[in-house]
Amino acid sequence: MTLPLTYHVRNVFVRWRATLATVAGVALVVAVYVLVQSLAVGLEKSSRNTGDPRNVMIVRKGSTAESSSQVTREQLRLFKYWPQIARDEQDRPLASADVLVMLTRPRRGSEAEAHVLIRGVGAAGRALRPQVALVAGRWFVPGQREVVVSRRLAARIAAFDIGNTFKAAGRELAVVGWLEGQGSAFDSEVWMDGDEARRIFDREFYSSVLVRMRDERSAAAFLRRLEADKRLPLRGLRETDYYGAQTMTAVPIRILGGFLATAMSIGAVFAAMNTMYASVGARTREIGTLRVLGYRRRTILVSFLVEGGLLALLGGVLGCLLALPLHGYSTGTISLETFTETVFEFRLAPWLLAKGLAFSLLVGVAGSLLPALRAARLPVIAALQSV
Amino acid sequence: MADTPMVVIRNLSKVYRQGDLDVVALNRISLQIDSGEFLALMGPSGSGKSTLLHIIAGVDRPTGGECRVQGIEVTRLNESALADWRNQNVGFVFQSFNLIPVLTAYENVELPLLLTGLNRRRRRQQVNRALELVGLADRSRHLPRQLSGGQEQRVAIARALVTDPALIVADEPTGNLDSRSAHEALGILQSLSRQSGKTVILVTHDPKAAAFGTRTIHLEKGELT
Amino acid sequence: MSTGTFVLKNALRNKRRAGLCILSVAVSLFLFVTLLVALREITIPPEDVGAASRIIVRNKISLGTLLPARQRAVLERLPGVAAVTPFTWYGGKFRDEDATLFGQFAVDPLKLPVLLPEARVPPEQWAAFFKDRRACLVGKIVADQYHFQLGDRLPFTGTIWPCDLELRVAGIYEGTLDDRNVFFHHDYLNEAVGELNQVGTWWVKARSLDQMAEVVAEINHAFANTAAEVRAETERAFQMSMISMWGNIRILVRSICSVVVFTLVLVSASTMNMAVRERFRELAVLKALGFRRRQLFAFILAESFGLALAGALVGVGGAWFFYSHVSIARLTQGIFITFEVTPRILGQAWLIAVGLGIGASIAPAVAVARMSVVEGLKTLD
Repeated sequence: MTLPLTYHVRNVFVRWRATLATVAGVALVVAVYVLVQSLAVGLEKSSRNTGDPRNVMIVRKGSTAESSSQVTREQLRLFKYWPQIARDEQDRPLASADVLVMLTRPRRGSEAEAHVLIRGVGAAGRALRPQVALVAGRWFVPGQREVVVSRRLAARIAAFDIGNTFKAAGRELAVVGWLEGQGSAFDSEVWMDGDEARRIFDREFYSSVLVRMRDERSAAAFLRRLEADKRLPLRGLRETDYYGAQTMTAVPIRILGGFLATAMSIGAVFAAMNTMYASVGARTREIGTLRVLGYRRRTILVSFLVEGGLLALLGGVLGCLLALPLHGYSTGTISLETFTETVFEFRLAPWLLAKGLAFSLLVGVAGSLLPALRAARLPVIAALQSV
Repeated sequence: MADTPMVVIRNLSKVYRQGDLDVVALNRISLQIDSGEFLALMGPSGSGKSTLLHIIAGVDRPTGGECRVQGIEVTRLNESALADWRNQNVGFVFQSFNLIPVLTAYENVELPLLLTGLNRRRRRQQVNRALELVGLADRSRHLPRQLSGGQEQRVAIARALVTDPALIVADEPTGNLDSRSAHEALGILQSLSRQSGKTVILVTHDPKAAAFGTRTIHLEKGELT
Repeated sequence: MSTGTFVLKNALRNKRRAGLCILSVAVSLFLFVTLLVALREITIPPEDVGAASRIIVRNKISLGTLLPARQRAVLERLPGVAAVTPFTWYGGKFRDEDATLFGQFAVDPLKLPVLLPEARVPPEQWAAFFKDRRACLVGKIVADQYHFQLGDRLPFTGTIWPCDLELRVAGIYEGTLDDRNVFFHHDYLNEAVGELNQVGTWWVKARSLDQMAEVVAEINHAFANTAAEVRAETERAFQMSMISMWGNIRILVRSICSVVVFTLVLVSASTMNMAVRERFRELAVLKALGFRRRQLFAFILAESFGLALAGALVGVGGAWFFYSHVSIARLTQGIFITFEVTPRILGQAWLIAVGLGIGASIAPAVAVARMSVVEGLKTLD
């Protein structure tokens, strides 16, 4: 026993002047909510995008990030030729001992600074990470002071164009190419020859070692053997697991999003409440008429709830549309795992938009609850006398 | 026409409290209205005629006495039962039409039928019949604001009779109409009573309107005169 | 009846509407103040009393690269330098916590009182801290949070350093801007790692404030063209550099703040607009009675202002009261520390309220000016 939907829809639109501000308010609230959450989603997606299930990463026991880990050359020699590791055509193990260095660089077009992550990759480093591709220029030549930088990082950091040189640890490094990592964590890195990096930055140790496994069974065997070997204070874990756990940076963003959504929705509920009270006030006679025709209180209650929900939902749709153009827009901040600049995108996943709409609906229903109760409680006779 | 009376009222009273004062709107009224009657209820403003109509139509409650409509003690029904009863047994016509502004003429007339279990086709038949009866079949897609006052009131009458109620109550239905439109509207109510056997109660202060009825009673200061 | 009581009675006639209106303005302004304070705190970090004379020396490559311990002798010989201590972030996990929210720093204990003069520690606790290689000094906030007692042993697991530590609480300090750190002997770290002979950064105290720039230049010059070039800067400059690391997030937070404020102003303005529009009928009556347009404007403006300022009183006053009586540091687990509502921010919020008062009265004022008496009497909503 409900009123036709057209009744509610038309009522929302017929008072458009009064509801415009409310709809706009809800739209902005939803837009902010969706955008902030989309940042967190983008950050997490860039972590999840990284890693190959066939790869195993080896870091020092106890270190939480690749960049703060150390693997000595002796340790590397001990496990490098284990049979579980796949080999290339020349029968060399597919292993890349990387060295990671954090470098302070000025940002492009400003005095602000950023920490940039330099990855000195081993011989098999590129083969192990096929998602990284050169998009401009050429690859670095081993033994040369040359770097290939992420194209997206180059857009944010000074002197990262091809042909530029910059100083690091007293040496000049030349940018010879741009790479792209298909939305992975490598899109926030600068790559160079591993041995050259160790020479320039005076590093005795490697940071981490990435190895390709022969197959699924050998991966499990390899991890067991590494864990059991007393000589090696190292920890092996699948590359996908390593990156999957790097989600700390998204936490404060999620908290910010939650705080803003809560605070702003209070304001939006007030707005919806006000609009709906005005609507009830203006339609007192109409409510009375419906009651005279035989409509029950409950129907009137539901009717106003539906109307408030529709109103807010309209705002929600508008808010999602407002946020949509930023989908895929890339931005950057300091990662709380590596403490270096990390580049990521706004990602407006469909489920996020759905959440935004549900959120707006909630605001609408919460805001219209009291006015709807008031409408339902109006005595029929009073409603008829109000002219 | 029929043997059982439509409305039987005994010692009906209604007292409002206005601040510290008790205002007597109806003072122990007794009245009987037969089926098929077209009763005109006249009196000056504040005489209690609208209150009497509201009690009969089940939108207001008396403070004393009885009011039986078709043998049912209306005053004892609870809110929800009363709502259902109104929907099935009473058609209401207001002075200011009270059409829903966002709904078309057709949808306004259809409104009471949504509460019945009728399917879409049956509803369409009944709505169209009601609109034809008031001569507005060609205006069914118009919104209230696109209609003249007389047309609006005729839509309201169509809405009152679409459920085929035994009782139609009209509270100053011609108050906001010019004389030609008023004549038309009253003519429709008259034919409903004469041809369809409906009981019509008309509240008015206009003797010309009252002349359409089969009987006229006068109310003054809450009492029949 | 005076005009004032007339306005007041009018504004309070629909108490629910007036209440909603005041509340929505109050919520908006509360949020506005909160965001401004938060933004100020992440943009301009609070300054420590002792910070002015401190210089921080880090590796030119980045904070992530260590400095050789032998640099200390060179630093101490520079004429403008009063004291030097290594300052190395240990960054361990406390007990079995997933994430430890307080920092642990390895320092030269004897130099700490000179470099951190604002820290208040009882003399016998200083002495205990100096004496024991494994002793540590704990900030009061952390000590209270974990209920540390003197003599407690605190186990840490190294995440950056390949060594675990066990520290003994020798003293509790307070009085610094952020009493949430643990200081311990650099010698202990050195020993645990095994001949580290490297430090994270150096903390240097200049002899006088006027010499700061000179000393910074001296230090940078002293290590130019060596294997470990350094970057020295005042603690303030260091903080600003750290903040710039946040990159776009700051711009993002700022633009979100603007959108938030805009939204809330919009919503409040529409609420007030409705409250005032409700008066149309009365205003029409007043017009019929012979009131001038100017007087009607005054009524509208007075009501609009009254609502906005009442909202500001609740919202801004509430924010000021809340943030000056509640420990934000504890509430946000140390993300925000002082959360000071400055007079400037208060002023900005009141300005917004005044703007809201004026802004919300424009549309009704225009409408009233155009309205004919008959039309106004017919207005229903």
